[in-house]
Amino acid sequence: MYDTIQELVAASMSQNKPISEIMIEQEMAKNSATRDEVWSQMSKNLDVMAAAVKRGVEGDGVFSKTGLTGGEAVLLKKYREKGHTLSGDSMVEAVQNAIATNEVNAAMGVVCATPTAGSTGTLPGVLFVIQDRLNLDRDQMIRFLFTAGAFGMVIANNASIAGATGGCQAEVGSASAMAAAAAVEVAGGTAEQSSEALAMALSNLLGLVCDPVAGLVELPCVKRNAIGAGNALIAADMALAGCTNKIPADEVVTAMDKIGRGLPRALRETGIGGLAGTPTGVKMKMTIFGQSVDVS
Amino acid sequence: MSGNYKSVFDIIGPIMIGPSSSHTAGAVAIGRAANRIFGGIPEDITIHYYESFAQTHKGHGTDYAIISGILGFEPDDKRVPDALDIAHEQGIKIKFIEEAGDSPIDHPNTAVCELRKGDREIIVSGCSIGGGTIEIRDIKMDGFHIKPKGPLPILLVQSENGGNSENLSDKLQKINTINHHAQYDAPGKGIMYEYDLENRLKQKDLSQLASKDTKMVYL
Repeated sequence: MYDTIQELVAASMSQNKPISEIMIEQEMAKNSATRDEVWSQMSKNLDVMAAAVKRGVEGDGVFSKTGLTGGEAVLLKKYREKGHTLSGDSMVEAVQNAIATNEVNAAMGVVCATPTAGSTGTLPGVLFVIQDRLNLDRDQMIRFLFTAGAFGMVIANNASIAGATGGCQAEVGSASAMAAAAAVEVAGGTAEQSSEALAMALSNLLGLVCDPVAGLVELPCVKRNAIGAGNALIAADMALAGCTNKIPADEVVTAMDKIGRGLPRALRETGIGGLAGTPTGVKMKMTIFGQSVDVS
Repeated sequence: MSGNYKSVFDIIGPIMIGPSSSHTAGAVAIGRAANRIFGGIPEDITIHYYESFAQTHKGHGTDYAIISGILGFEPDDKRVPDALDIAHEQGIKIKFIEEAGDSPIDHPNTAVCELRKGDREIIVSGCSIGGGTIEIRDIKMDGFHIKPKGPLPILLVQSENGGNSENLSDKLQKINTINHHAQYDAPGKGIMYEYDLENRLKQKDLSQLASKDTKMVYL
């Protein structure tokens, strides 16, 4: 197991292997598994992601039980068809994929948590748009997921990927950083550029709190995945252009952990502070759960 | 570094029914651990929630998730959202309690599960640390009070005559890494050995470790 991003990047460079390959070999060694077993499990995860992205834009879309979220991936798809997007079709497609996935999650559909269910749309948001942009084949898409997972493991083991512990920066922030690093690899960038992309993506989302209205993974979680995906693409492009974060990736991860520990409990997935605590947020909670919380 | 996340599939995965990996998939996993420790399905369940779990269990579907696990369902089982109804149909009594105090095991996503059937009761304290990964930090079963470090996998072996600890440790060391080892006594119940392991055990390894005079629980 790699303790730091620096070690992961150094291993990739000294062994002259992409990070995806290092991750696959580690997984095989750790679980005495064959390459086929490891590969096919990831392949299954990819299928689940693809199915959620697709399901979110079928018909009128999917809606959660509460009605707080749903149908907006379809709105984005229709908007794109008019061809007048401000940030470009790829960016809005990434947003559509991210929102579709989290709408399926909020509607209690089947998703692949990457790294969490609340942040489940960020990775597919990026992956399926660069599949189109870069004509990725299935093998490259599976490798994207191994690379994202390798970086995600370092973040999870050194900081946190739970909103209750570290706020949304630990969930969507981590997902965005993982997606940025993996996008760089499949786009032909170096392991160092992946690390820079991760550092920039995570730096941009530091401090993001977890403030779900009524404690539901709906508002603002669904749309935070849109920014997670967009931010990942921007960070990946900056890294591929040669921009650097100046503060090393491992130090950004440590900063994220410290910020998370410093957040008050009301802003760590308790549904009390932030947007959950706005008059409208409180009203929504009352409408959904009523005054008294019955616990039978 | 905590080293809790040991597999790429802890990060890319699990495949699950939404909406929350920590409060839904993780809750299923805590429930499944309780199911294994109990060794089946109880007649009576009380769940104590703390901190984020206490505040948001309803919104996240934690109730049906944890009961799904206690019923033995996987996180992606289609029956997960209906688990409360399924349990009620089986006549299982269920109570959820939102505790106001701090988590007794020092984590914001804590559930303490009491499972009862007849005279037997077990209490399992678990926390969901993110992405569906859990820790089990406290177990009370059959007179033993077990306090694992938290991260899974954990192997518990109860030996009524107290024997074979060295033998078992040797066998485990050949196929795995033991991160932590402890043993507990309970009058008339023999000795409980706890092994916190680095890697997951395969089914064939588990059957090789099993013997007639021991009871094993693998989490």
